[in-house]
Amino acid sequence: MENITKSFEGNKVLEELSFHVNEGEFVTIVGPSGSGKSTLFHLIGGLYTPDSGDIRMDGERMNGQRGAISYTPQSPSLLPWRTVLDNILLSGEINGEKYELEALRMIERAGLKGYEQAYPSELSGGMQQRVSFIRSLMSPQSLICLDEPFSSLDEFTRMEMQNWLLSIWEENKRSILMVTHHIEEALYLSDRIIVLSGKPAKIKKEFSIPFPRPRQESIILSDEFLQWKRNIYNELRGT
Amino acid sequence: MVLILLVAIWQLSCWLFEIPKWLLPAPSEIWLEGITGWGNYRSHLVSTVKLSFMGLLIGSGVGIIIAVTLHSLPKLREAFYPIIILTQNIPIIVLAPLLVIWFGFGMLPKIIVITLVCFFPITVAALDGFRHTTAELTHYMKMAGASKKQIFWKVEWPYALPSLFSGLKIAATYSVMGAVISEWLGAKEGIGVFMTLASSSFRTDRVFVAIFLIMILSLIFFALISSLEKIIVKWKPKGEGKN
Repeated sequence: MENITKSFEGNKVLEELSFHVNEGEFVTIVGPSGSGKSTLFHLIGGLYTPDSGDIRMDGERMNGQRGAISYTPQSPSLLPWRTVLDNILLSGEINGEKYELEALRMIERAGLKGYEQAYPSELSGGMQQRVSFIRSLMSPQSLICLDEPFSSLDEFTRMEMQNWLLSIWEENKRSILMVTHHIEEALYLSDRIIVLSGKPAKIKKEFSIPFPRPRQESIILSDEFLQWKRNIYNELRGT
Repeated sequence: MVLILLVAIWQLSCWLFEIPKWLLPAPSEIWLEGITGWGNYRSHLVSTVKLSFMGLLIGSGVGIIIAVTLHSLPKLREAFYPIIILTQNIPIIVLAPLLVIWFGFGMLPKIIVITLVCFFPITVAALDGFRHTTAELTHYMKMAGASKKQIFWKVEWPYALPSLFSGLKIAATYSVMGAVISEWLGAKEGIGVFMTLASSSFRTDRVFVAIFLIMILSLIFFALISSLEKIIVKWKPKGEGKN
């Protein structure tokens, strides 16, 4: 992302935003609500084009180009008439490919074995979100965008899902760009955290998170972790 | 239960008040005529079934095509939606003789009448279904880079199927009515013809037989569509309980 600016009807939502995601890196954007995080994703997804600036992927300009990323929305957004397996195959279908064996392997890996032929309505919220995430993993694009993927889950499921996401990701090492307003989640999962300001959104600060991988759950109670949390919290609050 | 009670009251009053048969025949007499007169109306029934089935098929086809066209071209929808509603304001009884003048006594005017009656509920139901597709699903599809065509076939079309079937059920019952009306205008065979003949010769019992035949036929059509729906739509939309 280079110097991205976007306004709606005169309201500047994003201002001179520049950042990047390296190959195999997990980057998280945190910001107050209404700071234009979803607008950012819509720009990357190609639903909107930026007023100025460029979005590049592997050096190629992709302003307003759709289908360049793989996307996990806030709600699972599974098609209710498709089975788990068919839902996972959807992302491949959009790109004209089908990897059934690979999908079955991923379902097993995700701990959803036996649910291949189940319908989404039969699954719990956490399981639906897993299916949604596997769906984007199965998509051939190199960058995965997560839009507050755990915001609809309760605290226990959330922790469980974060661990699950980490284990899957550490195996596959895809590039991930996540948006969240949950500081602990960002700290626990990411390599880098980008803090946005309120309207119009600008980059306030960027943090590189030094915790070693694979991440241990115990770190979230360590003093160092809390210190980081304090730093980011203060940055968000602008103090 | 209520139905049985009503029939019983009907039967009893016919006996008690000694109502003449040409005025109001008792259910038992209608039943008798229904069984003994089978040979009289069998060919009429067959021709009506054929006509309404064909009409329903063509009507649904037209209805779905109109819905899909209007859905994919929103400007066209704005322009044509009021016209589609207007077509339903013209009484078919008035329109039908006109159609006969234009197209003669063949199949064509009859099919047109049934199509006019059938397409409307289907078009409206399908259009509603397309439009009410959950925004989050279409949003996901767009972000994932799906084309308009993919969004339509993978999300909007399956999403609209349940409401499309509600439209089809209404159309199925209308199609029998449409067929009978079109037969009144001029046909060699059909329940409509049977009915006109019966009423002009004061065979009220036969008129009632015809009425019941129409009702049964509508119910059968309705049941057929319902079972088709059960086969095709295996999922339940949100808000509806699981069976």
